[in-house]
Amino acid sequence: MEITFTVLLWAVRIAFLVLLYLFLVRAFAGLWREMRTEEAAPARPGGLAYLVVQRTHAGGPRSGERLSLRAVTSIGRDGGNDVVLNDEAASARHSLVSFSDGEWWIEDAGSTNGTVVNGTKIWQRERLHYGDEVAIGRIGLRLEQA
Amino acid sequence: MIRLRAVPRFAELRLLVVVAALLVLGYVAVVASAVASFSATPVVVPITFIGLALALHLFLVVRGTRGDQLLLPLALALTAIGLIEVQRLAPERLALQQLTWCAIAGAAFVVAMLFPRDLSVLSRYKYTWALAGVALLISPLLPGIGREINGARIWIGVGNLFQFQPSEAVKILLVVFFAAYLDEHREMIRSSPRRFGPIPVPPLPYLLPILLMWGIAMIVMVFEKDLGATLLFFGIFLAMLYVATGEGFYTILGAAMLIAGGVLAYQAFGHVQARVDTWLAPFDEELRFGPSFQLVQGLFAFANGGLLGAGLGNGMPERIPIVWSDFVFAAFTEETGFVGGLALLALYLVFVFRGMLIALRAPTTFLQLLAAGLAFIVAFQTLVIVGGNAKLIPLTGVTLPFVSYGGSSLVTNFLLTALLIRVSDITARVRGGP
Repeated sequence: MEITFTVLLWAVRIAFLVLLYLFLVRAFAGLWREMRTEEAAPARPGGLAYLVVQRTHAGGPRSGERLSLRAVTSIGRDGGNDVVLNDEAASARHSLVSFSDGEWWIEDAGSTNGTVVNGTKIWQRERLHYGDEVAIGRIGLRLEQA
Repeated sequence: MIRLRAVPRFAELRLLVVVAALLVLGYVAVVASAVASFSATPVVVPITFIGLALALHLFLVVRGTRGDQLLLPLALALTAIGLIEVQRLAPERLALQQLTWCAIAGAAFVVAMLFPRDLSVLSRYKYTWALAGVALLISPLLPGIGREINGARIWIGVGNLFQFQPSEAVKILLVVFFAAYLDEHREMIRSSPRRFGPIPVPPLPYLLPILLMWGIAMIVMVFEKDLGATLLFFGIFLAMLYVATGEGFYTILGAAMLIAGGVLAYQAFGHVQARVDTWLAPFDEELRFGPSFQLVQGLFAFANGGLLGAGLGNGMPERIPIVWSDFVFAAFTEETGFVGGLALLALYLVFVFRGMLIALRAPTTFLQLLAAGLAFIVAFQTLVIVGGNAKLIPLTGVTLPFVSYGGSSLVTNFLLTALLIRVSDITARVRGGP
């Protein structure tokens, strides 16, 4: 009886340690999964903000379409851009929209026809506020909060 | 009010099931080993705690909290180990008291998840928080409410009923303030500092708080005789300065100032001398059964533990004085061995790593600094007390986060966990992820 009790007690003690390690392994696994999903995150749709298509033409994006923005988003006609605009007046690499220090910024990426913000052609990196109108080629876009 | 949109948190729930089983097994082992007397406490404590854990989980689900699902189980696992150890080591009434503190900490967690509704309040009123922190810090020095316990004047109390260690709460206020302050002055980071030869001269917005913090740290060391808090406050500050600026020199400068202050204090003050002497030669004839008795007994406990430990409830940790607060790590390691001690440290590692990941991903500089500072509190405090137990550094009376007996510490650590989960929640919302 006494011996059974001792053996049982030791079984409980060892089970405690095994369980502690089980918890640890699961916690590490959770951490690992988290880091993996983080690496895959940029490919996921849905971003910090949207450019909503205001003005377009046949062959271009649909009106009202929401183009989601990431920390750095390149816009242009070329298929390699994050946002591809099918518009003859847009350059292959037209503009760059970025998010830093809690603000949105836009710059022209050396386009032929230029980038226009609220009716003014920009010559350097400019702040972009929510609600601002951006014109790239013949397409009009508006920055909206996600 | 807050929109109720429940979000399932299955990963968290699965981990909590393991925590519950862990607590029950540990309790059974500890209680079955003590043949002395049976009472209702051993049944009440685990059941109440598991109920509390589930309640917190359900609260997060109902609140619609997204983001991290690891921190709450980790915090609760550590707290469960703390409860097991209190049951094992301390007088019975302390186990119930610790359980009460768990409930209060849980309530604090809920409140911190709900208020302030917008975390930017923390950065907007940063000087208010700083002022509150300083007031709390010096409150133990005030006659009437200040208490000196075990040689350190770091407690406030009303009558004999309620005692609180304000320096615990100050840590969080400090992190909030510095996150906001360094965020405000971050443009300094980009402009390279003026250099005096190879040495960068810190611009005034950095130099001023370095000096101020140094002064506060010295005051805490000299007047409140709290070496642990000194090390923590200054360490937190230096870590956040480094995270914000990436300038290693400031950290070296600050550390040098702290060491210089420490050397001066060693020359001038008895309580500092005593700590260092017991650390350097704990087995000294004169110290062995006097000031270094606790440390020596702790070292024996580590040795007794060996690789696999004496078995939970089977060691002799009660031979360490006040083992349930400062030496809980030594006691746990004696009974679960190197294997158990390592697992405990690994739990902290995961907690801190998770906190730092949250910091890296946070959408604004303020939230990044906030999360990094909070994670660093846990890391540094664990290092200081475990290092003190193991005679790696002089022993200072800080608590082992979540595990040590003590209410102020538990409440503070759950507030900290809540803030980290909130930052992660905000990040998940901004990114539109799960």
